[in-house]
Amino acid sequence: MNFDDKLDQAARQLATEITPERDLWPGIEQAIRTPRRRMPWFAQAAAVVLLVGASSSVTYLAVKDSSGPAVSVSPELVFERAAFGAEYHLGPGFQAARNSLRSQLDAELDRLSSEAQQDVQSNLEVIHTAIIEINTALAQEPDSVLLQQKLLRAYREELALLRRVGGLTRNVMIRNDI
Amino acid sequence: MEALLTMTGSDYSRQMVTTRNDAAADEATWIRQAQQADTRAFESLYRLHVDKVYGLCLRMTGNVSEAEDCTQEAFILAWDKLAKFRGDSAFSTWLHRIAVNAVLGRIRKSKRERDRIQAVADIQPPRMATGDTGEMRDLAAAVDRLPEGARHVFVLHGVYGYSHDEAAEMLGIASGTSKAQMHRARRLLAQQLEEQDFES
Repeated sequence: MNFDDKLDQAARQLATEITPERDLWPGIEQAIRTPRRRMPWFAQAAAVVLLVGASSSVTYLAVKDSSGPAVSVSPELVFERAAFGAEYHLGPGFQAARNSLRSQLDAELDRLSSEAQQDVQSNLEVIHTAIIEINTALAQEPDSVLLQQKLLRAYREELALLRRVGGLTRNVMIRNDI
Repeated sequence: MEALLTMTGSDYSRQMVTTRNDAAADEATWIRQAQQADTRAFESLYRLHVDKVYGLCLRMTGNVSEAEDCTQEAFILAWDKLAKFRGDSAFSTWLHRIAVNAVLGRIRKSKRERDRIQAVADIQPPRMATGDTGEMRDLAAAVDRLPEGARHVFVLHGVYGYSHDEAAEMLGIASGTSKAQMHRARRLLAQQLEEQDFES
């Protein structure tokens, strides 16, 4: 049996039915029970232009004003004011972990290369932009479970990224110490 | 329970056929009810098919968050289009086509969105819970690393068994392109897997 035959046979054995790790129905039910209200296309376009422009300006100013390789990545908290409905809330533990990781981030980031710092900055901005957009949509549909779940996920992704950066800086520190 | 324990093999076969027929009858009933805006019936359809849809979305995106979003989007789209379902194909096939469209729709949205998917992929655990074990897990991970076009064709043709014509139609590409992407996928997978003694 040649490689292609073995590969084809193995591919057919991969699981085709996979159970999601969480129940996706509540978000679907919410969406199909609520008539979809979309922003007009011109409003969406304007929002995207403003967000991209604002994001680029903040990045430019942060890079321009920095005297060393360190780049400040702590965003303005006003970007992340959650407009949650009744079902979901950010717990105090989550907030505490997030605040702690954030306060460590600026202090530790200069251990990374400037390229790595830019990557972190870029990834955080992408997540923050998503948070802003989801909040904008939530302001219009505050009870949307789908949007609430997306917002929670965005916060979790931010937390995971912050933790990952913390791990990276610790590794750098260990290498430097050696 | 005692009856079940004393059942012969052929009894089981009959029981299973009956169960499959019942499921098909239930599905047809749920489809009709859901077409009349019955959300409970649609939830039953969701429960019956979610593993198939999520499996396809996960294989195509290689990312848990994206697969969850695409699965939800697929069922929401299915609800919107349900009145147009005439039963020309199996309901699961119809749902698969919608799921593929949901995946492709998300990918097309914008470069920024693709960047977000990449950023999120970077912070995902290395492998999702798919039920794959051993060598299959290596293959699944290698499939996740394929370029988008090759991965989509490999998943639809190689994993799910759609013909090149069917896969091409679902992906909006020519049948020849599907064959070329499959060839590319095989070549890239061979490169990835040869280091892992896949052929042994």
